[in-house]
Amino acid sequence: MENPAPVIAARHIAKRFGHVQALRDASVSVAAGEVVALVGDNGAGKSTLVKTLLGINKPDDGEVIIGGEPVQLSGIREAQALGVDAVHQDLALAPDLSVVDNMFLGHEQIRGLGFLRRREMSERAAESLRELGITLPSLAVPVSDLSGGQRQAVAVAKAVMWSSTAVLMDEPTAALGARQSDIIAELMRTVASKGLGVLVISHDLPRILKAADKITVLWRGETVLESPAAALTVPDLVATMVGYREEAS
Amino acid sequence: MSTSPITQGIDDRAIGAVHPVVRWVRTRAAWILLFDIALFALFTALSRNHVFFSAANAESLLISVSQILLLALGLAMMLGAGIFDLSLGANLVLSSVVGALVMKSFQAVPGDASSYHDIPLAAVAGFLACVGTGIVFGLVNGLLIAVGKINSLIATLGTLGIGTGIALLIAGGSDVSGMPTALQLAIGLNTIGIVPIPAIAAIAVAILLWVVVRFTRYGMRTQAIGSSRVAAERSGIRVRAHLLSLTVLGGGLAGMAGFIDLARFGSTALQGHANDALGAVTAAVIGGTLLEGGRISIWGAVWGAALAIILRTGLVILGVSAFWQLIVVGAVLLIAVLLDRVAAVRRTRSARAD
Repeated sequence: MENPAPVIAARHIAKRFGHVQALRDASVSVAAGEVVALVGDNGAGKSTLVKTLLGINKPDDGEVIIGGEPVQLSGIREAQALGVDAVHQDLALAPDLSVVDNMFLGHEQIRGLGFLRRREMSERAAESLRELGITLPSLAVPVSDLSGGQRQAVAVAKAVMWSSTAVLMDEPTAALGARQSDIIAELMRTVASKGLGVLVISHDLPRILKAADKITVLWRGETVLESPAAALTVPDLVATMVGYREEAS
Repeated sequence: MSTSPITQGIDDRAIGAVHPVVRWVRTRAAWILLFDIALFALFTALSRNHVFFSAANAESLLISVSQILLLALGLAMMLGAGIFDLSLGANLVLSSVVGALVMKSFQAVPGDASSYHDIPLAAVAGFLACVGTGIVFGLVNGLLIAVGKINSLIATLGTLGIGTGIALLIAGGSDVSGMPTALQLAIGLNTIGIVPIPAIAAIAVAILLWVVVRFTRYGMRTQAIGSSRVAAERSGIRVRAHLLSLTVLGGGLAGMAGFIDLARFGSTALQGHANDALGAVTAAVIGGTLLEGGRISIWGAVWGAALAIILRTGLVILGVSAFWQLIVVGAVLLIAVLLDRVAAVRRTRSARAD
């Protein structure tokens, strides 16, 4: 299989937590402008792999490559400095803060003495949301006033705003209904079309087969299949996920 | 690749623009202010010769408010990030004892309150000792909570006992007195107009913190941590350092309140602060600062502190037993928390309705 140079990749990652070998030989790579779906049964190690790419977990073995260079990440701040950000399964937004404040949390624009440049922040947030085609009733309302789909869209927009390399999404549609899941899937394509690499964990196979360019299957901590999405069907995928090995195309 | 706008799919709940005045009236702070005014009017009407409405009473209300307010402001900031502090009253007392002992060391003749040779220097040293002790107390709390990962309620319950014990030990069991009279005249009992200096200091702190909460990164991050610690951590915020800075701030303000004791009474008040934590929590929570963290209302704390003091003073003037005052303040606190509950349940229901 021929690959363009990946913007973010994991090579032969192993990771053990106590007695649990979460990852044995896990690899994944994402090129610029590409949506790669990471699928696998529960416990296959998908979230662990993504956390390794973010520097939240340190791998016991193997390497993480960002922007073509092997990197040793010791925390999420370092991944962020390399242009990688994430949308987490458990939606990492502060519900009491406004949309704007959430989008800038950790990246606040300030003048002297720590005063926030709220106007600039609002304008930039509005622009980022507009570029992604996301329209919200107001950017000043607390995030807790938004619907689940709106919140997830804000989380994606936040990650995109601070990423120059790749956006990692851990089950972004797990809590959403069908219509809102379609919207988030469409949003992934929009993000990729901006030249970012998108890595998404998903259980929603029919939808992700349509949205992703490439599928990587993890099985018990091991990468068992990397294939263009177009070459796969849902039954193929399910079979691979539960452990029937297939020759990769 | 272009996409169709996501508008229709996601924008499924309209939120209309609201006039700022309407928004203000809807805030808890506004309600508490109105309640303050109503109570003030009620006590004025009920008090003999309407003495409640007098310059002397206003002055006494304001000086009483200043200490509770300093504690409530610190607590509101800490609550904003999800830290509960039960030890503020103990901190106040310990700080005042240390400050008093430091000040007394400036007496030329030990034990003679008229023998201070450099009163301004003694006062400054006493103030710094109070605030410094408060900061150290807060730092200890912060280390226990942020680094030791002890639940803040338990950590500060522990330091409440330890701090009170240390204060009693180093004070020798009785109040430390003999502060320079000039200190009382210049600060504790001095006023600008009818506003006592300690109240001016407390109000200045309130304004400063309001600016911090409303307009700065520090205020935003504080509420972010209380709202979702995970979100704050994932956004790259140094949460532990931030929590430490908050307990140090709260401790420093408690130390400042301790100095007010010395400036006001010329001595410590070991027995006078047993219910301060209750007053501070009442003030902050009644004012709309969320116990669960994530939302700080500085003006709410100001009007909440005023409410606690108006109630207390009003009941005194009406001749109601001191025991009843405790009951009333406690009941008001519970009513405020119940109101929060009702509002929270309503919020959850409307969120589920999506």
